Amino acid sequence: MNRIFTFLPGIFLLFASLGQAQESRYQAVLIPDDLKAQADAVVRYEKMTVKLRDLFRMEVDMERAVTVFNSRGDRHARAVVGYNDSRKIRDIEAVEYDAMGRENRKFRQRDFMDVSAVDGGTLYSDSRSLYLDHTPVSYPYTLVVRYTVENENTAPLPNWYFLSGYRVSTQESHFELRYDRPDLVPEVREVLLEGYEIEKETFFNGFRYSGRNIPAMRDESMSPPFSEVVPKVMVRPLHFGYEGIEGQVDTWEDVGRWMYTHMLQGRDALPESTRNEVLHLVADTRDTLERARRIYRYVQENTRYISVQVGIGGIRPISALEVDRVKYGDCKGLSNYTRALLSAVGVPSYYVHVEAGSYKSDFEPGFADLSQGNHVILAIPQGGKLHWVDCTSQTIPFGFLGDFTDDRLVHLIDENGGRLVRTPSYKGLQNGQVTRARLALSAEGALQGEVEIRATGTQYDSQYGLEDLGAIDQLSYYRRRWGYLENLEVSGLAYENDKDAVQFTQRMDIETGQYAKKAGDRLLFAPNALNRLNLVPDRHRDRKLPFMVQRGFEDQEAYEIALPKGYRPEALPGETAFETPFGHYRLQVSYEPESHSVSYQRKVLLQAGEYAPDQYDAYRDFCRKISRSDRLQMILIESDTTK
Amino acid sequence: MKYLTTFIALITGSLLWAQDVKFGKVDEALVARTADPAAASVAASVVYRNVYIYYKYIENDGFHQFREVHERVKIYTKDGYDYATVSESLYRNGGDKEGMSSIKGATYNLVDGKVVEDKLRKSDQFSEEVNDYYERAKFTMPNVREGSVIEYSYTVHSPFAYSIDEIEMQYDIPIEFQEVRVEIPEYIVFKPQFKGYLLLQPEYGKRSGKINFTYKDTGRYDDRTQGFQSGAVDYQINTISYEMKDVPALVEEPFVNDMDNYRSAVNYELLYVQYPESPRENFSTTWDQVVERIYQNDNFGYQLNRSNYFKKSLEQLVGGETDPIKKLSAIFFHVQQHMNWNGLYGYVTDQGVRKAYEEQTGNVGDINLMLVAMLREAGLDARPVLLSTRDHGVPSLPTQRGFNYVVAQVVLDQGYVLMDATSKYTKPNLLPVRALNWFGRSVSEDGRSRSLSVFPNAPSKRVHFVNFQLDADGQVSGKLRTQYTDYRAYNFRSQYGVMEEEEYLENYENRYEGMEIISYDRKNANVIGKAIAEQIEFEMEEPLAITGDKIFFSPLLHLSSDENPFKRESREYPVDFAFPWQERYNVNIALPEGYEVTSLPESAAMTLPDEVGGFSYHIGQNGHSLQMVVELSINQAVVPATYYPGLRELFKNFVQKQSEQVVLTKTGSDGNQERTGGRR
Repeated sequence: MNRIFTFLPGIFLLFASLGQAQESRYQAVLIPDDLKAQADAVVRYEKMTVKLRDLFRMEVDMERAVTVFNSRGDRHARAVVGYNDSRKIRDIEAVEYDAMGRENRKFRQRDFMDVSAVDGGTLYSDSRSLYLDHTPVSYPYTLVVRYTVENENTAPLPNWYFLSGYRVSTQESHFELRYDRPDLVPEVREVLLEGYEIEKETFFNGFRYSGRNIPAMRDESMSPPFSEVVPKVMVRPLHFGYEGIEGQVDTWEDVGRWMYTHMLQGRDALPESTRNEVLHLVADTRDTLERARRIYRYVQENTRYISVQVGIGGIRPISALEVDRVKYGDCKGLSNYTRALLSAVGVPSYYVHVEAGSYKSDFEPGFADLSQGNHVILAIPQGGKLHWVDCTSQTIPFGFLGDFTDDRLVHLIDENGGRLVRTPSYKGLQNGQVTRARLALSAEGALQGEVEIRATGTQYDSQYGLEDLGAIDQLSYYRRRWGYLENLEVSGLAYENDKDAVQFTQRMDIETGQYAKKAGDRLLFAPNALNRLNLVPDRHRDRKLPFMVQRGFEDQEAYEIALPKGYRPEALPGETAFETPFGHYRLQVSYEPESHSVSYQRKVLLQAGEYAPDQYDAYRDFCRKISRSDRLQMILIESDTTK
Repeated sequence: MKYLTTFIALITGSLLWAQDVKFGKVDEALVARTADPAAASVAASVVYRNVYIYYKYIENDGFHQFREVHERVKIYTKDGYDYATVSESLYRNGGDKEGMSSIKGATYNLVDGKVVEDKLRKSDQFSEEVNDYYERAKFTMPNVREGSVIEYSYTVHSPFAYSIDEIEMQYDIPIEFQEVRVEIPEYIVFKPQFKGYLLLQPEYGKRSGKINFTYKDTGRYDDRTQGFQSGAVDYQINTISYEMKDVPALVEEPFVNDMDNYRSAVNYELLYVQYPESPRENFSTTWDQVVERIYQNDNFGYQLNRSNYFKKSLEQLVGGETDPIKKLSAIFFHVQQHMNWNGLYGYVTDQGVRKAYEEQTGNVGDINLMLVAMLREAGLDARPVLLSTRDHGVPSLPTQRGFNYVVAQVVLDQGYVLMDATSKYTKPNLLPVRALNWFGRSVSEDGRSRSLSVFPNAPSKRVHFVNFQLDADGQVSGKLRTQYTDYRAYNFRSQYGVMEEEEYLENYENRYEGMEIISYDRKNANVIGKAIAEQIEFEMEEPLAITGDKIFFSPLLHLSSDENPFKRESREYPVDFAFPWQERYNVNIALPEGYEVTSLPESAAMTLPDEVGGFSYHIGQNGHSLQMVVELSINQAVVPATYYPGLRELFKNFVQKQSEQVVLTKTGSDGNQERTGGRR
């Protein structure tokens, strides 16, 4: 489900008009070699000029010239500009040049397609975009796009990236901002500019950053997102206008106050009938947390996620009254509604802005700005602790956030203003999975028996959805999960979803086709039949970026595998253990003669952490050792050839 | 239509067909129901569905089409909430546009044992301009929860009388009961085309309609009588109705190129229009008529006759050349290189061949009709072949709408060659995979047409020659030479065409844990038409299991596949491989010094009935090395579902065979020698 909304709508893919260009400068041969390295495209020249005219008027001029070497680079030259009722595009045009820098084709505004920019998870939005449906006729080519955007909002202000993605370099990049009034001076934060050819010029009414000759970066496994590794300039307004409302914010407290006053206050009224209904619901308990749980369950059972974004609706929730009527809303509407219900039964809560996603992205301390965050959750203070709920999920347990909003700085808002706090984290041991199995291997090599899997933390998060699937989909899930188990049949499937403990248990009987491999008189099989890890990330010969294990986990296996009559073990994997800064691995396989079975015990811990690029090979080695140990085979030999 | 434009319409007699299910009359038992009676685990089901398509005469504009939809849906689980949002695409062209009206909706929930109704309001309805041609009308039902029954009805009004949108008869959720009724005035004649695996049994009938109208008497004979006169026209309405009970959900299956091709539906293709006292306007009835109409289209036939724009280039390309094969390939590669496909389909041109040629971009029609024109100009018997792409269904009956693509054919003494210049990686007789969809309709210059198969007959091959050297400590080093032919080469080029070699090798290494590439060479990657040959020299760590004095390994090492792609026991739809193929391994394994073979897998083979496919696996010892030849082939592009059990068994046995181990024993270890070769 797409639960994300765009805080302040607007795609800032931006640039300025540049008198008459000397077109031959787009000759592809003029590009220095170090900018071509590992690049599908080069930004030859780009310039954005932001002109803050007054509180409710901002003009942005953009020019961007990109030389593209191959079809993979086309995306870097894509001309797509978003607009809506408060953000208008003026004078958009594009020119294509060939490899020699000669003009090929020219595109006017009428050549651009005008399309709705609504994504799949949204019922309606006023976002639209103009885009150029451009088919390159040869490579390399250069596409220059120029346009001006007039915006009635002066928040957010665009941030500037000196690289526009992986595998694209920048030859020349300018970001200029001018203000017509002294109170419109924004605050600027430079991020990761060191080591690059980037200069700043200051004017009496503005500034300009210019970057030159910035080589392309390559995407590497497990690295932070591009926005965290790119040299960039962040800009935030201290005084702004948004959808007709003025704002003056310096601290996160100010942003919270502004949000509360203009976006939340007075939107929490409820119809009397609903108020009575929820009061009745909690009448028998005085316990705050129990009341909160019941309200949350009520919301989960009675509402669903539907997103409608129009104008100010980008950050202002639809009213609790409206949600109460239609029983749907987006993250803002459902959170505000839940907050109103909680309040009706005397439970206080905070409205919380968060940047959601599996990557943990913090709100910037000391850099308060409306543009941060893409999702809303609630925090309920009780017993000196905050209890968190995501009102857009109809199934997630109370107090559990999962990997969508965990462990990050978020913005807490209530009538007193706002502040940043960190959400709970799920790391290492907390994300557990214990698999127990009692299995029997037949002389033909088939496996059969009972399995129990218990998952907690993020492993709970990724598996509890199984209970909502149909029987066919559940079966195909296991057939995919254990794809190497030929002819897998699953029966007696039972799930236990303990939402209070955040623990999901799966029990089932399994039966496979041939599992053990035949080799003459011998049978070979990997006793780890149910959880072979393959964590090995891609190899990077010359790793440049740091890498991170964001959460980690702990998996434990305890299997008892009865061996077929007439066979005896010839070789067992025995014991293995290794310990690294990334985690540890312990394996013990032993033969129990009384029961003629094998006991398989294995434990893996992967720790969360952030590591320097030079640790990467060691990490890969750790993963490879896990992968190899998990696949270790044991060998059985026919002990009685007459059977 | 112009023959009736002065009529004032007063349609009578519509809606004779009464609906059994009244809007708003929802049974309490239905709202209380907790699971689908037929299939326990469905997220939602359509309890009742009614689609009623009919025509009304509109003054000055002729017949307009109306589609009334009424659906009642039971939501069982949260996954079913998606069905509470309804969306209709409304087409427009010039001043004419489709509209949605009379939207009515309600959600029914059981509250304290009573059914409570929430009505759909205006504020739950949205309309969004998707682009110049489409508007999307949407609404979402209020107060939906698990157990809700939702019901809605609306009417889509279309001025495009001659086109009826595909009527779906099957959803992704079950339909308990549906009735679909289509009523068409006798003047407009359609032909139904059925799609999918369900039996559709229309009932045909007739009823009469009457148009009362007034018209202006022009008073040709007597100026004094000029004025309005009234009159009436009786006409017949052809009715078609479908009633279906317990329509199963369409269930996704792997190896299907587009599930929608198997969704049961009916399409109405316009045959002709004939108003009273006016000539019949034909659209399509027979293949010849379909083709004739397509030919008459300025963006088709006319485009084939234009030649000035390429005369010069053509002269340079084939001037003086007499060999037809050389001519056709010179022209093909020129168009392929010169033109750039803009991603749009269509058998007619988009901007016209001349402009497309100048600008070097175009749609499928632009590019391939230009190709046909050039081939003809060069004296070859070239024909356009109309076809339908894989995501567009299979045209089994003569229709115009069934086609959405065109390729070129050249007829030679020794057979024919098919060509499509929209892809940079195709060659003569190799169409892009999107175009491989059963049949095409080849159109000769005299306007006659015939059907031809577009599926390739020859298998596309991947042939591996491997030399492994095993080491007693678990190291493997080797040389792998792989040849890719036809579609294997096409796919290779499409996938890796612009990828740097460095990145390709990294990906390759990442695919096989512990592999390190020592050297790499690739031939003919950019010589379209030739097989690609790549040679990889590599080293690999520990793919072998070593215990005590023994080494175990599966002899295909990293090349073996360990998963059967066909996991389900049974299958309803054909398995679509797009082209026949063959995978072949010629392997030579040098054994480590000091070890000898204790056991080998047995050789084996399996063939499917009717030579649909098969595999063979041969292994033998030759001195201190092993030799094996393994082959898996599928000889048909599309394998019918009846062969599915065999196909599944084939892959199962193939995977199993590959997993079987070779056992080596250290020589002179303990005399526990066993005989070489397999045992039962």
